[in-house]
Amino acid sequence: MYRVVLILLGVTLASGQSAPSPQEMLKGAVAAQQSGNFDEAIRTYRLILSKYPNIPEIRSNLGASLAGTGHYAEAIVEYKRALRLKPNAQVRLNLGLAYYKTADFTATVETLKKAREEAPSNLQIVTLLADCYLRLGQNKEVIDLLTSVQRADPSNQAFNYLLGTALVRDGQAAKGQFVIDRILKDGDSAEARLLMGTTKYIASDFRGALEDLQKAVELNPELAEANAYYGLALLASGDQANARKAFERELKADPNNFESNLRMGVILRQDEENDEALKYLHKALQIRPSDPGVLYQIASVELAGGQVDRAQHDLEALVRAQPNFLEAHVSLATVYFRQKKKPQGEHERAIVAKLNAERQASNEIGAKGQ
Amino acid sequence: MRVSACFLFACLLAYGMENSSVPPARSVRECATCHPAQAKPHPETSMAHAMELPAECEILKSHPVLTFRSGPYSYRIERQGDASTYSVSDGTQTISAPIGWAFGLGLAGQTYVYEYNGELYQSRVSYYKSLDSLDVTLGAQNTKPTNLVQAAGLLMSPDERVQCFRCHATDAADRKKLTLNSLVPGVQCERCHGSAENHVKAVKVGDAKGARMNDLRTMTSEQTANFCGQCHRTWDEIAGSGLTGVANVRFQPYRLISSKCYDADDKRIRCTACHDPHGEVSRSDASYDAKCQACHGGGKVQARACKVAKEGCVTCHMPKTELPGSHFKFTDHYIRVARAHAPYPG
Repeated sequence: MYRVVLILLGVTLASGQSAPSPQEMLKGAVAAQQSGNFDEAIRTYRLILSKYPNIPEIRSNLGASLAGTGHYAEAIVEYKRALRLKPNAQVRLNLGLAYYKTADFTATVETLKKAREEAPSNLQIVTLLADCYLRLGQNKEVIDLLTSVQRADPSNQAFNYLLGTALVRDGQAAKGQFVIDRILKDGDSAEARLLMGTTKYIASDFRGALEDLQKAVELNPELAEANAYYGLALLASGDQANARKAFERELKADPNNFESNLRMGVILRQDEENDEALKYLHKALQIRPSDPGVLYQIASVELAGGQVDRAQHDLEALVRAQPNFLEAHVSLATVYFRQKKKPQGEHERAIVAKLNAERQASNEIGAKGQ
Repeated sequence: MRVSACFLFACLLAYGMENSSVPPARSVRECATCHPAQAKPHPETSMAHAMELPAECEILKSHPVLTFRSGPYSYRIERQGDASTYSVSDGTQTISAPIGWAFGLGLAGQTYVYEYNGELYQSRVSYYKSLDSLDVTLGAQNTKPTNLVQAAGLLMSPDERVQCFRCHATDAADRKKLTLNSLVPGVQCERCHGSAENHVKAVKVGDAKGARMNDLRTMTSEQTANFCGQCHRTWDEIAGSGLTGVANVRFQPYRLISSKCYDADDKRIRCTACHDPHGEVSRSDASYDAKCQACHGGGKVQARACKVAKEGCVTCHMPKTELPGSHFKFTDHYIRVARAHAPYPG
């Protein structure tokens, strides 16, 4: 996935050194990188860079080699240095991929947006950007990004799938169905089943969702998010044991799946395995920083584990950011009563009563309107 | 009590139960040896009969045949000896299963749990006392079964099984596992007080310190509401679920805490201030007047005296409210000045 840039062979380097020459060293490093001998490549690139630190192509090659060995944090540093020396869409895409690998999807998006400005027709950037938006739960961004792209190439099933997923998750079932139909033209597929199952899940048709999602998993057990949504449908049907297995399967294939990390955290919290729960929840928070649902679950674990002051701190921050988050106010009331802070507890209960009354009124208006 | 060995064995296989590490529940009689005032009246209470085995279930015994029809499905509960069989037919096929447990004493209604194909189901029809017959179980009215299995009952998820059995019986679950082998129907002493094994051992050797158990009398109003709310639902659970409207009338701790006069620190408003957990709940409205007057009779500065009456407080301030589908009027524990035609609060 990391393309090696070989244009450096034409670069003139300072001469007068003993063999091997810099050009030969570079050739050897590139060959080592291409053959997968990343450690050798890294060693040689670093040696060259110690003498000629401002050659962007060698910096980016070093970044690619570091990424090849899984040292993404170091790769990010090298890619950034390379980009400071010379902006380049491919290097920026590689930087985005390195961020992606560290599950920093916010940074990936920022990087890819710049890369797209530099190379608007690069479909790899578009695909990865759409995937990141989905992971961050930013469905509208995916729709904005892909609607025109997909219109230009309606037969591109990868775009159809990503756009369909975003539409379905955004609650635009009718438009989503249109895209699903396009996918179904190629026959029954795991992708189509996943989208249909997701649509039904969002519409609270859990039984229908379960059938489609089970089929999706059967058709392609490796399909990203198929197990996650299958797990969600199982959870909604009350089958927590099998839901847990589905989330575990998803995380085995993709440790950065947000829903699976979050749900595993919730399941483990309910099972009073608080330490384990926190591991998953912190991972989910890494994927979607400041996600209110995850922050609430973390506070709940803290509360269950007797860390009442910490839970208070986190819940207060949460309700400041999300003043209408009912469950957070409920938990904060509980915290205050445990701390014998009765006035604060009563204040939170009054907020809960107000929020519930507003919901009730809204539901009644909705019911009358139907 | 007669549960057939085969049935129990089937349950053991089906639910993957482990031998409970919890010792078997002590009988109320054993507790009554030292605590007669609390233990002796308890077997007659509704809580003690929150669950019954079919062999001992008065409703099933006194109704040898119960029938009901809903759309294309006909329901029948038939008594044979000490057992009752639940059957549902669509005219061509029939599902039958022996009733395993009867949930609820029947003051409002009684729902049945049965085993079918290795799973536990809650019957889709329940007995209602006010009707003296069967009707659709509360909560199932808006569901439309698409096959006979669904028409017969609602599949209980592992969580639901534990929640239901844990509240209607004693020693029914160890953490998240059902322990039907140790189950004692109904809310018995150890359901609230915890295992008395060490207590009894310590008492026998005169170890006063070792004999100590949690003293539930020291709980504040808030702690009591949360304690009773384990089964009657806590404020957190209901408020957090956003369940508004009359559907929440049966969740007394939630309603009580929503009351203006609720005070987390004042034991005069806690559940046990009005209800003796060891005795039957009083059905006499007048019996609660003194509880209200403890504050509103001058005992608490913030509690104003009622301008209308000093008797029958609960008849106005805790109106009985019918929960649709339950065929029963629940006492609304949201204590308030209930005005005529005012919408249901909360």
